[in-house]
Amino acid sequence: MPMKRSRALRPKPADALVVLAVVLAAAALGVYFWGGSSSGSLQAVISQNGQVTETVNLSRLTEKEERVITSNGYTLHLVLTSTEVWMESSTCPNQDCVHTGKISRPGQSIVCLPARVSVMLTDGNASGVDAVLG
Amino acid sequence: MRRFFTGLLAAGLMMTLAGCGSGETAAPAGGTLYAMDTVMNFAYYNTDGGDADTAYTQTTQEIERLEQLLSRTRSDSEISQLNGAGGAPTIVDGEVAAIIADALTYSTATDGAFDITIAPVVTAWGFTTDHQQVPEQSELDRLLKSVDYRRVSVDGDTVTLGAGQSIDLGGIAKGYASDRVKAILEKNGITSAMASLGGNVYVRGSKPDGSAWRVAVQDPKNTAAYAGVLSLTDSFAVTSGGYQRYFTQDGKTYHHIIDPATGAPAESGLTSVTIISPDNGTMCDAFSTALFVMGEKKAIDFWRTGGYNFEMVLITADGRVLVSEGAAKHFEQEKGSGYAYETIPRTAP
Repeated sequence: MPMKRSRALRPKPADALVVLAVVLAAAALGVYFWGGSSSGSLQAVISQNGQVTETVNLSRLTEKEERVITSNGYTLHLVLTSTEVWMESSTCPNQDCVHTGKISRPGQSIVCLPARVSVMLTDGNASGVDAVLG
Repeated sequence: MRRFFTGLLAAGLMMTLAGCGSGETAAPAGGTLYAMDTVMNFAYYNTDGGDADTAYTQTTQEIERLEQLLSRTRSDSEISQLNGAGGAPTIVDGEVAAIIADALTYSTATDGAFDITIAPVVTAWGFTTDHQQVPEQSELDRLLKSVDYRRVSVDGDTVTLGAGQSIDLGGIAKGYASDRVKAILEKNGITSAMASLGGNVYVRGSKPDGSAWRVAVQDPKNTAAYAGVLSLTDSFAVTSGGYQRYFTQDGKTYHHIIDPATGAPAESGLTSVTIISPDNGTMCDAFSTALFVMGEKKAIDFWRTGGYNFEMVLITADGRVLVSEGAAKHFEQEKGSGYAYETIPRTAP
């Protein structure tokens, strides 16, 4: 014998409003806590002597940008585009930073030891790379 | 009213879940250090009540202490005093003596492919200075006469070098530092951390979200790309590659990994060697250099002896990536890299 549904348990328009409110609140919280604006967007973090001096959101670059960095007595010429970063020139003696070439992926970095400058790419994405060997 | 409280309860649940999420992505303690002739990055997480800030402070102090202790270019270091002793028995710090003894063990194990007495030859090439050059062959021949780890002796805290010898612990100093980082993390109850000391990486536990750390192996022929990615937990990983430091003279490229047998940059057919181990960063550092010098066949034979607990990734100049059996299950090939990937079985076919 089929169970008779109570009239009080039947969904009413007000119930739909409560469900909608909870879903919207969850979505808003999700965006606030997880959907960080930087998640998935490629960023170049520029540091001098271990201190971050600038973070460039490469995804928002519409044209090539350049930075002239003077640090520890050396002058470095950094180029940034929406997809890659490279050290165009440097007055440092060993040129390791220039030799690194173009970097384009999260976890990669360009380091100039004499100038104590580093440029690291990040994307705030958990599926990216956490460290690079080499 | 009942609907109102039900909605409130559901909203509270969502906020709790969101709160958990924010805890997982909390910024780690750590930062960037310039030390030991490289750049180091650290990220320590407070996941299980550990004290990440204290651990990072202790790490920076420890790295500074080790640089003072082990540097060959700092005139006040113990190594400089030993090198300047003219072959006389020298009492050194017990920790320094132990590191030298470990280095000699790895030299013996690799039949001299790793040798801390290569120091004068490396100096002649200028890799420890700002002025790199190709030395005259006559100079290399003269310097090679003093390259022989078997003439270094360690007796307790007393170390004696052979006539004309000097040593450089640069080949294992960062690896040893990563071992010390591990000890500091253990002491402070840190269960999720990543430490990158130049090409030396130590990952502790897993990431705060529970997944393995993703550690990429750089592509030697294109440093903007990867040859693959290792998924690691509680592991040391070290890469040596000729592309890391080099100079060009008269149209020819010379890299910094010197073969102790020839005094010249090693031409073994390998372009990159990565060593992975759960146990020992010092060993990984020494073996990454040694196996690069050995070349493919000797490196595989050495791994197959099973005398030391490690796995490896070899990249060859002819475009192959050779991954040892134990590392293969943690290794993700890079699509479109152009490399041919092979797994090295534990026993020879």
